Amino acid sequence: MTTLRAWLQDPSPTSRRQARLGQLWLAWLRIRRNRLAMAGLVIVGILLLVAALAPWIAPHDPFVQDLGNRLKPPGTPGQWLGTDDFGRDILSRIMYGARITLYIIALVAVTAPVLGLLVGTISGYFGGWVDAVLMRLTDIFLAFPRLILALALVAVLGPGIENAVLAIALTAWPPYARVARAETLTIRSSDYIAAVRLQGAGAPRIILGHVVPMCLPSVIIRVTLDMAGVILIAAGLGFLGLGVQPPQPEWGLMISSGRKFLFEQWWVATMPGLAIFIVSLGFNLLGDGLRDVLDPKSAPK
Amino acid sequence: MSLIEIDHVSVTFRAKGREVRAVEDVSFSVDEGESFGLVGESGSGKSTILRAICGMAPVTAGTIRIGGKALPSPRGSGFATQVQMVFQDPYASLHPRHTIDRTLSEPLAIHGLRDSDARVVQALQDVGLPPGFRFRYPHQLSGGQRQRVAIARALMLQPRILLLDEPTSALDASVQAEVLNLLSRLREERGLTFLMVSHDLAVIDHMCDRILVMQHGRAVEQMRREDLAQARMTTPYARSLFDASADRMLG
Repeated sequence: MTTLRAWLQDPSPTSRRQARLGQLWLAWLRIRRNRLAMAGLVIVGILLLVAALAPWIAPHDPFVQDLGNRLKPPGTPGQWLGTDDFGRDILSRIMYGARITLYIIALVAVTAPVLGLLVGTISGYFGGWVDAVLMRLTDIFLAFPRLILALALVAVLGPGIENAVLAIALTAWPPYARVARAETLTIRSSDYIAAVRLQGAGAPRIILGHVVPMCLPSVIIRVTLDMAGVILIAAGLGFLGLGVQPPQPEWGLMISSGRKFLFEQWWVATMPGLAIFIVSLGFNLLGDGLRDVLDPKSAPK
Repeated sequence: MSLIEIDHVSVTFRAKGREVRAVEDVSFSVDEGESFGLVGESGSGKSTILRAICGMAPVTAGTIRIGGKALPSPRGSGFATQVQMVFQDPYASLHPRHTIDRTLSEPLAIHGLRDSDARVVQALQDVGLPPGFRFRYPHQLSGGQRQRVAIARALMLQPRILLLDEPTSALDASVQAEVLNLLSRLREERGLTFLMVSHDLAVIDHMCDRILVMQHGRAVEQMRREDLAQARMTTPYARSLFDASADRMLG
């Protein structure tokens, strides 16, 4: 263990692999010192664990209805977070819902920021008519209210998780493109880009290898901050019957079904709401910490 | 035959209907193995000539020839293995998120050269940096060390010509001398041709065989190092430039 640590912390690594692993180790040390980021990491880790282990740790089947047991308050033995209007165990539904939430988040996180980054960096790097065309396209997407555009897309493509994700991703990329373009404009005239261009590098290599790494931190921060919004839009689509379909235990859907009982049986809407709140908070904290870690300039000297 | 020929070159920047003539009808040539200096106050167009050679400034008249051949536009990858540049500010010319290793191996990757591990280690050694610096980031190095990295990067593709855009003006005096000595040594070892820009006659006197004095985008006077040392300049502008830095040159 100590030899491994010494190997990782060697100030003059002898191979590229050792250097890379050493940097990861340093990043880990940095994020470990940031308590809030660790809290975020723990929350996201728990979400991952719960999603992975849902079938084994959930006390009840999330789909089985038991009308004799409906709207039980939290604290009922066997149903610690209570039951909903069909007598389904809310805890189990939240656990299974973590899978759907995670699935939506993962799909949106790998599509929208990537698309936005590409559009923004290409637009900013080439300038001229490429910039004009791509930015007007971005303006058009930005001009629509997000939920309305998502609604239109789902209405065309039909309801379901995948189409909801597609709709969210298609409406979520313009802000990333704007952020990436603004950063690219300041980067593209810098000496280090001139130097690599002078070495004969082509546009794809410059954009992917030299411009994108400079834009990544601000985009990653936006992504983690947007995650709460993504969960809520997915919930909104579910509420309108255009996203995840009942009886799937999606958190937003659970909130909207609990709306009817909000005053008498508050827990039906509150429990999944708390889940969304905690997970959003976790992503935000993690995003904040990641920004510090991803910037090598903030590394301890 | 001259290696670099600048033949009646003009550079005009156009922006929003305005024209700025940065370089007007400048001609000179640099022989193989020679070190040629461009001197002048800021805004005299000396750096613009370097950028024009690299294809980063719009040449509106005249031709630039390397080895007797007019340069194609865009420059193409053959140009990169012939001509490289060291930039003025070592704080801006290295990618802040790439390790020294990445910075130095990038040109090798672009040109598909093998054996990048050994070449990077060798390059660091050549510019007098310890191998332990290989996986550091630019912000962990001092200005002089960064400029050494920038020089190593420029030499990765083993070019014949090195364009030096005020390579030491961002460094303090003691480090300046070290970097200039390194450049002289590398030129000797590899038979490089230097085209160097500076506003500092002391630096030019130390480094260059011949110099061209520029003012307001025009060539004012060309002279040899001996002429400079003995203050044999013919134009008043070159004289005033000399007077301004004479005390340091004698020291």
